[in-house]
Amino acid sequence: MQKPLFSRTSNLLFLVFISLSFLACEREEVQTVTTFTNLTFEDEFAGTGSIDAASWNVDMGIGNAISGDGWGNNELQYYTDRSENIKVEDGMLHITAMKESFMESNYTSARINSSGKLEQEYGRFEARIQLPWGQGLWPAFWLLGNNIDEVGWPKCGEIDIMEYRGQEPTTLIGSVHGPGYSGGESEGKNYNLANDRFDTGFHVFGIEWGPEYINYYVDDVLYNQITPDDVDGAWVFDHPFYIILNLAVGGNFVGSPNESTVFPQTMLVDYVRVYGLSN
Amino acid sequence: MKKNIFLNSNLLFLFALVLLLTNCKRDKSEDAKPASFPKNGVVFIDGFSAGLEYLPYADSYFEAFTVDEVTKQKGTAAMRFDVPNVGNPKGAYAGAIFPDNGGRDLSDFDALTFWAKSSVGATINDIGFGQDFGENKYEVSLSGLQLSTNWKRYVIAIPDASKLSREKGLFWYAEGPENGSGYTFWIDELEFEKLGTIAQPRPSILEGEAVTVNTFIGVTSTISSLQQTFNLGNGQDQTLNVAPAYFEFTSSNPAVATVDALGVVTAVATGSAVITAELNGVKAAGSLTLNVTGSFDLAPIPTEDPTSVISIFSDVYTNQPVDYFNGYWAPFQTTLGQDDININGDNIISYTELNFVGIQFAVDQPTINASSMTHFHIDIQAREVIENGDFLTIRIVDAGSDDEIGTGDDTSAEITLNETNLIHEEWYSGDISFASLGLTNRSNLAQIIFVSDATISSVFIDNIYFYNDGSTGGPMGPTVAAPTPTQADVDVISVFSDAYTNIAGSDLNPDWGQATMVTEMLIDGNNTLRYAGLDFQGLQLGSPQDLSGMEFLHIDYWTANSSALNTFLISGNTTEQAKALDVPTSAWSSIDIPLGDFSPVDLADVIQLKFDGNGDIYVDNIFFYKTPGGGTGPTMPAPDPTRDEADVISVYSGVYMDVMGSDFNPDWGQATVVTEEDISGNSTLLYTGLNYQGLQLGSPQDVSGMEFLHLDYWTANSTALNAFLISGNTTEIPKPLGVPTAGWTSIDIPLGDFSPVDLADIIQFKFDGNGDIYLDNIYFYKEPGGGTSPTSPAPTPTQDQNDVISVYSDAYMNIMGSDLNPNWGQATVVTEEQISGNNTLVYTGLNYQGLQLGSAQNVSGMEFLHIDYWTANSTALNAFLISGNTTEVPKALGVPTSGWASVDIPLGDFSPVDLADIIQFKFDGNGDIYLDNIYFYKAPGSVEPELPLGFEDGVNPLLAFDGGAYANVVDNPQTGGNPSSKVVEFVKIVGSAWYSGVVFDESLRATPLIDLADGTVFTVKIWSPNAGITVRMQLEGGAAPAYEVFQTVNTANQWVTLTYDFTSQVNSSDTYPRFAIFPDFDTSNQNPVAVEAIYFIDDIIQQ
Repeated sequence: MQKPLFSRTSNLLFLVFISLSFLACEREEVQTVTTFTNLTFEDEFAGTGSIDAASWNVDMGIGNAISGDGWGNNELQYYTDRSENIKVEDGMLHITAMKESFMESNYTSARINSSGKLEQEYGRFEARIQLPWGQGLWPAFWLLGNNIDEVGWPKCGEIDIMEYRGQEPTTLIGSVHGPGYSGGESEGKNYNLANDRFDTGFHVFGIEWGPEYINYYVDDVLYNQITPDDVDGAWVFDHPFYIILNLAVGGNFVGSPNESTVFPQTMLVDYVRVYGLSN
Repeated sequence: MKKNIFLNSNLLFLFALVLLLTNCKRDKSEDAKPASFPKNGVVFIDGFSAGLEYLPYADSYFEAFTVDEVTKQKGTAAMRFDVPNVGNPKGAYAGAIFPDNGGRDLSDFDALTFWAKSSVGATINDIGFGQDFGENKYEVSLSGLQLSTNWKRYVIAIPDASKLSREKGLFWYAEGPENGSGYTFWIDELEFEKLGTIAQPRPSILEGEAVTVNTFIGVTSTISSLQQTFNLGNGQDQTLNVAPAYFEFTSSNPAVATVDALGVVTAVATGSAVITAELNGVKAAGSLTLNVTGSFDLAPIPTEDPTSVISIFSDVYTNQPVDYFNGYWAPFQTTLGQDDININGDNIISYTELNFVGIQFAVDQPTINASSMTHFHIDIQAREVIENGDFLTIRIVDAGSDDEIGTGDDTSAEITLNETNLIHEEWYSGDISFASLGLTNRSNLAQIIFVSDATISSVFIDNIYFYNDGSTGGPMGPTVAAPTPTQADVDVISVFSDAYTNIAGSDLNPDWGQATMVTEMLIDGNNTLRYAGLDFQGLQLGSPQDLSGMEFLHIDYWTANSSALNTFLISGNTTEQAKALDVPTSAWSSIDIPLGDFSPVDLADVIQLKFDGNGDIYVDNIFFYKTPGGGTGPTMPAPDPTRDEADVISVYSGVYMDVMGSDFNPDWGQATVVTEEDISGNSTLLYTGLNYQGLQLGSPQDVSGMEFLHLDYWTANSTALNAFLISGNTTEIPKPLGVPTAGWTSIDIPLGDFSPVDLADIIQFKFDGNGDIYLDNIYFYKEPGGGTSPTSPAPTPTQDQNDVISVYSDAYMNIMGSDLNPNWGQATVVTEEQISGNNTLVYTGLNYQGLQLGSAQNVSGMEFLHIDYWTANSTALNAFLISGNTTEVPKALGVPTSGWASVDIPLGDFSPVDLADIIQFKFDGNGDIYLDNIYFYKAPGSVEPELPLGFEDGVNPLLAFDGGAYANVVDNPQTGGNPSSKVVEFVKIVGSAWYSGVVFDESLRATPLIDLADGTVFTVKIWSPNAGITVRMQLEGGAAPAYEVFQTVNTANQWVTLTYDFTSQVNSSDTYPRFAIFPDFDTSNQNPVAVEAIYFIDDIIQQ
């Protein structure tokens, strides 16, 4: 099966629908596509101050929520809720990674999640972000299944809307993890930005997630679709997920920072918006 | 420079103004547009872009650059750069600029991009753009660019493109040999582009450091280490050295220190100021903080008459050149600093951490003759409080008459200063007489040494010079007349002398634009020419002079302060030749220059003399002369030859057995009178009134085993002389000989110079020209041990057998069944000789010779043809490569050789021969040729890997990942079921990632490895120590998604072939740059590897 690339201009949903319909006829496949236009959550990070506790939990420390230390990935940072690492200013969320000795770690940064605050099954999840850069920086905008405490990871499911390696400033990675296709075996795709990079301006990272499909887009480009056919295991994306935004330093996925890495590094988030089914 | 900038920035305004004045009715705004330049980013794609020029550096190897139509990354051609070997007489390095002098508008681009590769791994010293052989205003340099033997794409970022709206300098480079050896690199698809991925600018000055200095009003310094760093699209940082014009410099306090557009900082008042810089709005790391402590009292300005001074360091006088102001003498010297302070234009030497230090003028520069000087002057300021016991000793060293320091005849004298002389921050001015110093020898002054033994650590020094105070020695000129010449009137043509009748009507001071002041003065009653402040000076003879009967030019000269002086003779055809004169002199110096030294000046038509150099020169007795009664014949015999008789075939010599029966005066109708003269008992041939003259050998001579023709000749009056060698087939070739001579001249002419004369059948000599010629010692010779056959074998080649297709060599497996002597009708005799046990191919009496390969060879994967050859007597030799379509191309080989010669001919040189179907070699030429080690080869690993991958070349194109897993190509340890000799060993070590595997290194190829149009099924041979493992194969890195297939190894410890069928998944029009193979891919156990496992992988084949 060849996965189509679509161009999204003013109305992504409309174009996607038309294109899929067209291909569906040609390929004799039936694809259900739902439109998500009902805004169910937004944080525009307006004003200046700390993060809105009604929307977000702030994760602290070196993590053991998934497995072991370093948030399961041998990450090097210590997450804090200090304003040096996380603040809202000038209409933006600033998550800043710093090189400093703190609680026996050599780096600090921040991570927030919406567990118990925004948990949603299906929808359109998007955020407008300018990414940091440099060897060893690993920012992410991702979703985790809200049943993780009952079934564990990866059975709870994970949807990585945006992952990125600071040393590959033109490459976006979008993927899903589930039982049989997790860790290094996740299902996903790299998207390379042509004649631009992710650390010099804002880009919109999003998914449209419905029953039996997750469409990945950046700005006006739909670059991947993942369906149950694509994964080597059970499809575990039919229950509510919550949002995580973090900026990790080091770890298996990205490698450690080196002498060329410039600190501090900030991930700037202009907004996070979530849409659900209309009506 | 500043004027240009002004015009530039006001161009629009000026243009508008002109239009307004000339046509008031016109709407100025529509026509008044600034000049625009082409927005063309192309430099070289398949040829020079419009307007592009190639200008090599003056001292570089000019032939370095060519356009290569064989090796290229894309299209039809690439730029090829041949970096010379160390010591190449044509230039020691390669370097050039490629400007478009019409200018380009590059402001829409952000980088210069290109593809490049090199014949060996290499690092380009400097490469960039912005050099135009003018201001180089926006020069950018990338240092240490590493190239590999595979094509790779490179990017050089533009520091601030908005500056480049009219840039001329599109590309430049400078590169020397690698480890002493020359090599070749190629650049293709060179163009400026808008990549959009050049980001994170981080400019810096002063290496990003915050530098603080204490200084004085009037001191200037320049901001250094100007750099711009970007993060490129591949995530790598790139740091460039950039010109100051990219920066905006700012002073925090211009009332204290100013900074100009080029980063030159000037302290103007007491206080502090911080100099910072921005590049394109980004603040540069690094700063310079100036603490200006006040004004500085300069040393007293010297007042000695410049004509009475020899200066070492002063802004008042012209300084003599020195080797250095600080020799940093290891290992005990601690002293830092030299002539690096400038206060309001006054240069000052600053020494810090002083223990001892020396100024030297002896090795790279001449020593100084201060014998006519009386005093030594120096100004010294201590920069610290002088305490009791502190001292500074100044020692002046004379190198002695051998002019070399460190030899036994050196002398020195010294003076020691202490707290009675030196006061903190005040100048001490010393005027020390040589008499008080006791420095008797001062004709070869070489060093001034300062010693404090660290008692005084910081001093400023100014105005170091020697002078004559007028008390002795008189003014800076000779006090006596030049010696009166003694040549007889009849032997002399005089230009300027009281002793002779001078040529009438000469102009002693023609206006050629010189600065020299010319005076004619009486010294001791003798007319003398004085050239004061010489730069250059002409002397126009009253009439052209025929000097061919003269032997010498005589000049008397005197100078106390010149460090360079040349005299020139100039003939009517505007040929001029210089002769250096030794300066300075300690008294009148007389020189007699053989006129032969001025060759190729036409001595029959001399019209002018010229001097150049420096200093004040007194000149007298300028005349030409010949020796009494002579000028027409040598007074000494030619030097006796010393070569061994066995290396010589002699024609005319009193030393060797000459060829019997030669006729030294055959009647060929010549006018020349031939006689034999006895000079000190040595018989010498004399041709009087030569027009032409033959010499018939007693018998034809085979001199093909010889290397040179030797002749001794002498002539005072010839202006043209050629020697000819003539063979039985009436071929003759002239060799011009330099005339007239200054005494006997010996010449050794390589016999190759007489090509195509048949060296095996020499029957005659001939000379033509004019004048009276003495000849002696006419013989052929070869170097000892040289001769007709090599005494040692050709050097053993070192290429790996895997990189070689060999035709003839003991070092390799040769192609089977070749015919070394096919009958193509040739006269050449072919034999095989063993030299020290090494088989060598010998072509005797070559006219032409073929070599039929045992089978047609595809050498398109090779890069060079290697041949070792030796010949003492060949004057022409070509090697041909011949392909099955009967195309053949010759390659000329340099002959004769001195010892074994090795050539490595790029196979591209044989284009258009079909390298995929080589069937024969051919050689043609002449002489006797020894050949060995004829083979084709490639540089190891320099061919792009491609599918199928069998690893037989020993090169590993696979990278291992993750967590310490590694992969190497090894000798196949498991040949059962796979006879392959090389395989990949992949080791999943303990602790490596569970998903570890190998991935093809896509950087090894310019194009994607996998084209699915060639097949969508892949087979892989694998040997696993465990059964039941899953081996995943994935196609990666393409525009389309990655695809994977899983297969299982069912049998342990034996080679199995796994088939990966991607047909149902992929689109056959897609390409992928790489694949990955994941042995033991077990998603159910995603933990680091607990037990090491070794897998072998081989024969990755696209079906």
